[in-house]
Amino acid sequence: MLKRRTFLKTTGAAAGAAALGFPAVLRAQPKQIKIGAVHPVTGPLAEIGQACRLGAQMAVDAINAAGGIKSMGGAKLVLLPGDSETKPDVARTVAERLINDGAVMLTGAFHSGHTMAMVPVAQQRRVPFLVDISAADVITANVAKSVKEGQQKVQYVYRIFPTTTTFGRRAIQFMNEIFKATGVSPKRAVLMYTNDAFGKPQHEGFLKAHKEQGAPFEVVEVIPFPEVPTDLSTEVSKAKAAKPDIICPITRPASATLLLRELAKQRVDILGVISPGAPGLYEKGQIDALGKLIEYTMDSVPWINPISPKTRKIAEEYAKRSGGKIFDTNSGYSYEAILVMADVLERAKSTDPDVLVEAIRATSMRDPIMVAAGPIRFNEVGDNASASTAMVQILGQKPLVVHPKESAEAKLVFPAPKFWERG
Amino acid sequence: MRWALSLALLVLVILPNFLGSYLLTVFIFIFFYAYLGQAWNLLGGYGGQISLGHAAFVGVGAYTSTYLSMTYKLSPWIGMFIGGAAAALLGGVIGYLGFRFGLRGFYFILLTVAFAEICRLIVSHLEPLGGALGLFITFTGNPWQFQFSDNRSYYYIALGMMLASVAIVGAVERSRMGAYLVAIREDEDASEALGVNAFATKLAAIVLSAFLTGMGGTFYANYLFSLQPNTAFGIPLSVEIILRPIVGGSGTLVGPILGSFILSPLAEVSRAYFARGGLSGVHLIIYGSLLIAVVLFFPRGAYPYLRGLLRRLPRRGAP
Amino acid sequence: MNVTLLGQAALNGLLFGGVYSLMAVGLSLIFGVMRVINLAHGDMMVWGSYVAFFLALRLGVDPFVSFLLCAAALFSLGVLVQRGLVNRVLEAPHEMQILLMLGVALVLENLALVIFGPDTRRTESAYGLETVWLGPVFVDVARLMTFVLALAFSLALYLFLFRSDLGRLIRAAADNSYGALVIGADVGRIYTVAFGIGAACVGAAGALMSALVPFSPAAGFAQTVVSFNIVIIGGMGSLLGAFLGGILVAVAESLGAVLLVPSLKELVSFVLLVLILLFRPQGLFGRKTA
Repeated sequence: MLKRRTFLKTTGAAAGAAALGFPAVLRAQPKQIKIGAVHPVTGPLAEIGQACRLGAQMAVDAINAAGGIKSMGGAKLVLLPGDSETKPDVARTVAERLINDGAVMLTGAFHSGHTMAMVPVAQQRRVPFLVDISAADVITANVAKSVKEGQQKVQYVYRIFPTTTTFGRRAIQFMNEIFKATGVSPKRAVLMYTNDAFGKPQHEGFLKAHKEQGAPFEVVEVIPFPEVPTDLSTEVSKAKAAKPDIICPITRPASATLLLRELAKQRVDILGVISPGAPGLYEKGQIDALGKLIEYTMDSVPWINPISPKTRKIAEEYAKRSGGKIFDTNSGYSYEAILVMADVLERAKSTDPDVLVEAIRATSMRDPIMVAAGPIRFNEVGDNASASTAMVQILGQKPLVVHPKESAEAKLVFPAPKFWERG
Repeated sequence: MRWALSLALLVLVILPNFLGSYLLTVFIFIFFYAYLGQAWNLLGGYGGQISLGHAAFVGVGAYTSTYLSMTYKLSPWIGMFIGGAAAALLGGVIGYLGFRFGLRGFYFILLTVAFAEICRLIVSHLEPLGGALGLFITFTGNPWQFQFSDNRSYYYIALGMMLASVAIVGAVERSRMGAYLVAIREDEDASEALGVNAFATKLAAIVLSAFLTGMGGTFYANYLFSLQPNTAFGIPLSVEIILRPIVGGSGTLVGPILGSFILSPLAEVSRAYFARGGLSGVHLIIYGSLLIAVVLFFPRGAYPYLRGLLRRLPRRGAP
Repeated sequence: MNVTLLGQAALNGLLFGGVYSLMAVGLSLIFGVMRVINLAHGDMMVWGSYVAFFLALRLGVDPFVSFLLCAAALFSLGVLVQRGLVNRVLEAPHEMQILLMLGVALVLENLALVIFGPDTRRTESAYGLETVWLGPVFVDVARLMTFVLALAFSLALYLFLFRSDLGRLIRAAADNSYGALVIGADVGRIYTVAFGIGAACVGAAGALMSALVPFSPAAGFAQTVVSFNIVIIGGMGSLLGAFLGGILVAVAESLGAVLLVPSLKELVSFVLLVLILLFRPQGLFGRKTA
């Protein structure tokens, strides 16, 4: 048993290095710092998981190309990728294995349930876990609470992604600002969401923000649909019957396709589609497949900062390495997580977990590659206080930031032309 | 044989002192799925009533104890039994309907799938249970909350659960009920002609099987720290539960454990070697091929094959 | 409650039902002849969808034409799976057959992931967005096409099974494999052809459906479950039952989306399934067997 264990360990490290194409390993043997990244690269979430993994890998490559962690003698980062297979028990086991293989920090895991399964691993084994993507508020709040109540000594779990609360607030804020700027005030909105672990809290966050912040429109109908829908025609007919001015969908790629096509087929007469934050409405594959139907669709999502030259360069490289895909929410946040980790290591000058945590807490990272409300800083519960979203609109078959003004790269079009009047 | 088992047990008991947290986790899931597999085995293996909806019992057990713990601060140690009872109740309902209406084979399989899916859909819409978002458990490491800062505690609990399931199912196997179950599996009509009350026997089997599976739900919840209807009631978990006893040899006491000791490490090794970047999915192709290979080469499962092999070995030394 | 909405939902469900029916007919045929539960059914369907997708992307063939090619491709896959694997477990216990088919499903899903990538796809068709309005109600042309073609395919299958010698033998084997043996039929060949045809049905269904519903490598499992529902509701081993069952389930779910919270619409078919199992286990259109 012991023999196999060491065998696993050494071959694991070798395989990791080989996968990176690491010629340096044979030459100078600079110190390596391993980072475990758990994403769902197989199973129903594979599309997103693979984007996340590539984003993280590219960030590691970029940091190494720029000389590694300078304060630690140019130590190179090594990404240990793990596949959660879209299952929580596998996420937990994989996290343990990556730590076993020498990971000093973890990132991941996209699905909130998988992230939750990794939280106790991080806490038990004292390995800082920087959540790249997962929006459920409770993930960090729970750990912060148990530390506050003295059940846990140190918080090892931090997150750079916006929470569902932030999603909701921003969506309403942006919508209000856009309506004011364009002088068009929709009166009736229909909220449609996929009833899963992502769509449910996301729709609640939106409704809560709508109630608290107020908006010119009323949410006249809320329509949840199954997680894996094969047909949304009746849902869209229901929405149409509510006579909406705007449709606010919370989708996944498959449901986004069904939804937009049905809206066009059924000639639903609306001012536009504005999502409070959801995938399926900005990816290259979706744009190619939906063409003019996805044009003018707005989505209030965490997004790459188009104004930053650094981000633009990464986006170009990402397109090359991914075979033409767009550097977006998921690949972007997984990339950013590695940048934050590098920044933390640079300041910590150590891989000691508690020193790392100190450094994480002291983070103030300027010029994030994603749209943000300032430098990346962690608040008392361990969330990125500056995490924000941007209003992205598909214009000329490209997702472009149209709001807020300081990040905007294009002028928004609202109301959108009707589906059947789009040449 | 007896001394070999005692030795194996001794090894398992002292093993955590030599294992890192990762291998502990691997063992924990080996034990846990062996436990669930053994619970399934009682009904599916001995009784021949194959259920592809056992996740429903895990889900009901897990949600019950977690809800009680979060709302009424009831320790999951107690909630575990209530969860088991709730699962047993569900098992009773499914069993009563299914067996009363004489559903056998494939029809029974689909009845269990349908009930699991119905549970999943209902829980996805129950606000107090968090709906589709599910329940999130705060990690405190408090043993009274069924949480531990040391993975070894989970190891011993999972090991204990597995051994308990072996003891319980073993007792059933030796009892009259076990004989009845096997008779029903082999030929239900003939067994009834001989005076076996097939309905009552099958009902008892599903209730006990569901109770044990439901108790496992508490472990599931407090090892993964969140519950979503899609994972806790989903068909993938039901599949996970039945794989091990079938691979090991269903209807045998050793089968679920052997199956778990074969499949979990295989899955883990294929992940460790083939899921480190590069093409994603290769490790699952390999895993799937292994399942196919088991069927082709061990058409009765691994244990009956091993037993046959052992019998054929020349015996050395007199007992 | 709005009558137009209900009518529209019923119509949409009806037209969608064609592909459900075709998918279920394939499953029912395989079960009827071999008594094997094809748990890889939905994954085979996804492969049919991918064939249609790439034929459309590379050669510009409309899925409403290429579905025949997809059926042929899946026929070959079915023959391979039957000859190489299923044939060896025909006498094995249920649970081993289940294990085998779960393995096949896992391999097919992840082979698709490795070869085609994880992205969500949909096959482009010239008729994709056409609608015809009849007053307040509209007819989705793509749905109508899938319905008509699925119906035609099923009809062709029906003619084959009832009018050709091989078809009669397959039916005989479905009724009683011993009987087929007695009259001197080559049961092995019958099984192979039957599995091939079952796979061809689901391949054609996959191609037709890919014009309506986006798919990805992991999309198969849900379809397997739906197929089983339909087959049980319609009547195990009854082809007509499977066909009508498909339409019934599609209409019921569509109406369920109107009458219930739409995210609960799948509940309708599962509840229907339980009721059928309990009160009419031979299915709505199945014959009672001794």
